[in-house]
Amino acid sequence: MFDAPQSPLRPAGTTAAEPPETAADKWSDPRWAWAPYEPDDARRWNSRLAGHLYRRAAFGADFGQLERALDDGPQRTIDRLLQGEADATVFNQTYDGYEAGAASADGLRAWWLRRMMLTPHPLLEKMTLFWHDHFGTSNADVKDARLICAHVHLLRSHALGRFQPLLEGVARDPAVLVGLGCQANRKAQPNENYARALMDNFTLGKGNYAEADLREASRALTGWFVLRSRLRYIEREHDAGTKKVLGREGDFDDKDIARIVLEQPAASRLLVGKLYRWLICETDPPGKPLIAPLAESFAKDYDIGKLVETMLRSNLFFSPAAYRRRIKGPVEFALGIIRGLEGMIPTGPLGHELAALGQNLYHPPTVKGWPGGRHWINHATLLGRSSLAQALLAGKEPYGETLDPLAVARRHGHRSPEAAGRFLLDLFLQGDVEPGVREALLQTAAASDAAAGSNAGQRLRQLAHHVVMLPEFQLA
Amino acid sequence: MSSTRRDFLKTSLGTAALASLGPMVPAVLGRPACAAGITPDAGETILVVVQLAGGNDGLNTLVPFEDDVYARNRPTLRMPPEKVHKIDDLLGFHPNMTAFARLYREGRLGVVQGVGYPNPSGDHDASMRYWQTARPHQDGCQTGWLGRAVDHARCPDDASVPAVFVGQIKRPLTVNGETAIVPTIRSLKQNVMEPMPGPEEGPAHQRRLVEAARLPRPGQDNPLLGFLQRSSVDAYAVGRRLEEAARTATSDRTAEYPAFQVARDFHTVAQLIRADLGIRIYYTELGGEGPGGFDNHANQLGNHCALLRQLSESVAAFVDDLARDKLLDRVLLMTFSEFGRTVKENGRRGTGHGSAAPMFLAGGCLKGGMAGEHPNLTDLENGGQKFHTDFRRVYATVLDRWLGFDSRAVLGETFEPLDVLRV
Repeated sequence: MFDAPQSPLRPAGTTAAEPPETAADKWSDPRWAWAPYEPDDARRWNSRLAGHLYRRAAFGADFGQLERALDDGPQRTIDRLLQGEADATVFNQTYDGYEAGAASADGLRAWWLRRMMLTPHPLLEKMTLFWHDHFGTSNADVKDARLICAHVHLLRSHALGRFQPLLEGVARDPAVLVGLGCQANRKAQPNENYARALMDNFTLGKGNYAEADLREASRALTGWFVLRSRLRYIEREHDAGTKKVLGREGDFDDKDIARIVLEQPAASRLLVGKLYRWLICETDPPGKPLIAPLAESFAKDYDIGKLVETMLRSNLFFSPAAYRRRIKGPVEFALGIIRGLEGMIPTGPLGHELAALGQNLYHPPTVKGWPGGRHWINHATLLGRSSLAQALLAGKEPYGETLDPLAVARRHGHRSPEAAGRFLLDLFLQGDVEPGVREALLQTAAASDAAAGSNAGQRLRQLAHHVVMLPEFQLA
Repeated sequence: MSSTRRDFLKTSLGTAALASLGPMVPAVLGRPACAAGITPDAGETILVVVQLAGGNDGLNTLVPFEDDVYARNRPTLRMPPEKVHKIDDLLGFHPNMTAFARLYREGRLGVVQGVGYPNPSGDHDASMRYWQTARPHQDGCQTGWLGRAVDHARCPDDASVPAVFVGQIKRPLTVNGETAIVPTIRSLKQNVMEPMPGPEEGPAHQRRLVEAARLPRPGQDNPLLGFLQRSSVDAYAVGRRLEEAARTATSDRTAEYPAFQVARDFHTVAQLIRADLGIRIYYTELGGEGPGGFDNHANQLGNHCALLRQLSESVAAFVDDLARDKLLDRVLLMTFSEFGRTVKENGRRGTGHGSAAPMFLAGGCLKGGMAGEHPNLTDLENGGQKFHTDFRRVYATVLDRWLGFDSRAVLGETFEPLDVLRV
C-alpha cells in the first residue's frame, strides 16, 4: 500500500482522528466522546483507524479486510463486525461439535484458538474472551473439561446479548459453582463464596455492599448443588424465608438476587468501566462523568451488544485517547501475526506457548481474571514473544510453512523485496512507525543484492520478525 | 543492583547506545523506587526453594538412631546406628547423606525440626496446597505464597523478573500470583532467543531488534510505548546474558554436578545467579508431580535412599559451586515436603502419611546447627510426630529476614521469625 498512488489503501494521515482544538477537553466530554464518529477532513477514515478497529473488535485484520474496510467506511465495517458474516451460526455449531469431542482442557484450548483464527464473527470470540476474563473460572479449580467447555459455551451464547440472563446462567453453571467451591449450598450452612464473587467481582465491586447483604444473598442461593458434575436443585435445602438484600426484602431466590444486584448503579458502572478498559483504553481509568451516560443507559436493559456498538462507533474510540492505548495480550499478539499472514497453524503447540506467556485459556490465574496491561510484559515474556514469533515465522515445525510473508506480499501484487517489505510494515502497523525505525528495518529487505532471488523469502521472514517485535506492534 | 550487572548492560549495549537513550534509561539501570515491598538494603539476596513431593520421611532423613521407639517401630526400615552420620548422641543423617553431613559440619546446612501446621491433612493434594499457598485449610486459595510475595514486591513499570520456576513439571501453585507472570525455565538452552535464519546473520538480526526498539520516537506521548521500548531493550540485554550463560553452561563445572535431573536444575539456577539478572526467588523440585516420589507406602528403602542421595549430593554440588564464586553468602536454600511419615512402618516395608518433619536450610549465612527439639516419638498425631514450629514461621523468616519482603502482607498475619540466619 506504500506503492501509492496505485495502492488501493489511501495513505495514512499523520495522526488518528483528532478532534480540532482543545483535544483533551473533548475526550472527556461525554457528549462528544460517545457521539458516533463521522469521518471528515480533519479526521479522515484511513488504514490506521481500520487497523485499530480490527485490533479491538477482532484479532487483527488481513490485507483484504483492511482494503474492504477502507471502501466500506466505518459504519458498514462496524455493522459487519457486530453481526458477523452470514455463516457464523453454522461455523460455531461445527466447532461446538469439535469441542464436544475434546477430552482435556488442552484440547479445548486448541479448538478455541482455531475458532478465533477462522471465525467469521471475531467480535463474538473477543467478547467471549472478555467474559471468560471477567468471570475468572479456571479449570485448575474445576478439573473437568466437559464443565469448563459448557461454561465457555454459556459465555459465548450471551457474549453480545444481555447481561442479566448471562448472570442468571452463571449462578447455575456447575463450572462456576465448582470453581468457587460452592458445590453444596445447604439451608443450614449457606455457602458465601458465590455471593462474594458475585458482588466483589461480577457486578458491584468492593465497598458497594455490606457483609450482611452478602450473608442474606447466600441464603437466597441455597438449594443448589453440583452432584457428580451435574446441577441439582434440592427443594428442602432452599431457605424460603424472608431475606434483606441491598435494601430489598422478600423470599428471594437466585434469580431475584441477580435482578437486585443489577438494580444497583454500581453494577452497570463496574461493567462499563471494565469494557472501557477492554475496548478503548487501559492507560487511564475513565472519569465518572465520562462513563455516566453509558452506565445509565446500560442499566436499563443490560444489552451488551448495544453497549459494545456505542463504544465502537464513538468519537472517543477513534481518537488518540484510545489509539494504541492498550497492550496486546499473548492471544492478540499471536493471532495478529497469524491472521495478518492469512495462514492457519496447529493450535495445540500455540496454546501451550501462550500459556507460558501468561495467558492460558480456560485457566485465568484467579477469579479476578488476567490482570492485563503492563502485567503482560516482563523480560521473560518479551523474550518469549520473540521466540514464539520466530517459531511462527520460521516456516518449520511445529507450525509448518503456512505463514509465508513473501507469498502474502506477492499475492497482493508486491513483487520486489523492497515493495514486499513496505507491504509488511503497512499490513502489521499501517505505517505506525517512526521514519528512522522504518528505514533501519527496510534495510533488511532492501539490501537486495544478487542473492536476493533465492533469499528473498528468508529475508522477509527476518523483517516480519523485526516488525512484530517492535514496541508498537505490542500495542493494540 | 550490583555493579557487574550495570557494567554488563553498558558493555552489551555500548556506552554510546546508552547515552542516546536519553531519558529512556532501561529500568534495570535506574530501578523505580516504587517496588514497595523491597527493603532497599536487602538488595540481592536470593532464595532457592526445593519442593520434595510425596511426603518425605523425616525420621529416616534425620535419624534418631539412639531412640528405642524408633528402632521398635521400624523393624525393616530402621537405619543402623553405625551407618548414620552422627550429629550428636541422638541424631544423625541418613547413611546416603554424606554430603549433607559435611555441609552441616561446615556450618552451611541447618535444620529446623518439627515443622508442620495445626490439624494437619493427610491428603497429598490438600497438604501440598496448604504448604504452597501458606493458607492451611483454605481450599479456595488460588495464589501461592511466593506468587503473592512477587505481586507485592514488584511494580508494573519494572519489567524485570523477580522469580522463576526451574524444573521439568507443570509450574507449581506456589509461584502463582494474581498479577505477576512467573516464567518456567527447563534449561538455559530453551530460553535463548533463536535468531531467525536468513541472509542477515544471527547477531546482526538481533542487533537490529535492539536498535529498532531503541530508536527515539519523537512526539510520542504514549506512556505504554515508552514502557515497551524500555522493557524491550532490557529484555534483549537479558537475552544476551542468558545466551552467554548457556554457552558457558556446557563447559563450566558440569562435571562437578552429579548426573541427576535435580542437579541439572540446580546447575541452571547457579548459571542464572551468575548471570546476575536480578532474580530473587528460584523454585525447584524433586519428586515430580502426582503423589510424588517421596510417597513410599511399600518397599520404601531403596527408593527413599536414592532420593536422599540425589538431594544431598545435588545440594552440595550447588553450594560448593556458589562458594567457589563467592556467591554463597547471597544464597539461601530451603527444602520442604507436604508432610512427614508415620513413625510406625506399615507391614509392607513402607510408611503412611504422617505430620511434622524437618526442613533443611543451606547457604552461606546460616547460624547452623539445629533449630528446635526433635519431636517426641510417642506423643503422635496422625501416627506421625507433632509439630512445634508452624511452617509459616520459616516462611516469615525467609521473607522478612532474608529477602527483605513484608511477610505480613504475604502471609496475611504475623508469624514470629526464627533465629537461624546470620544477617
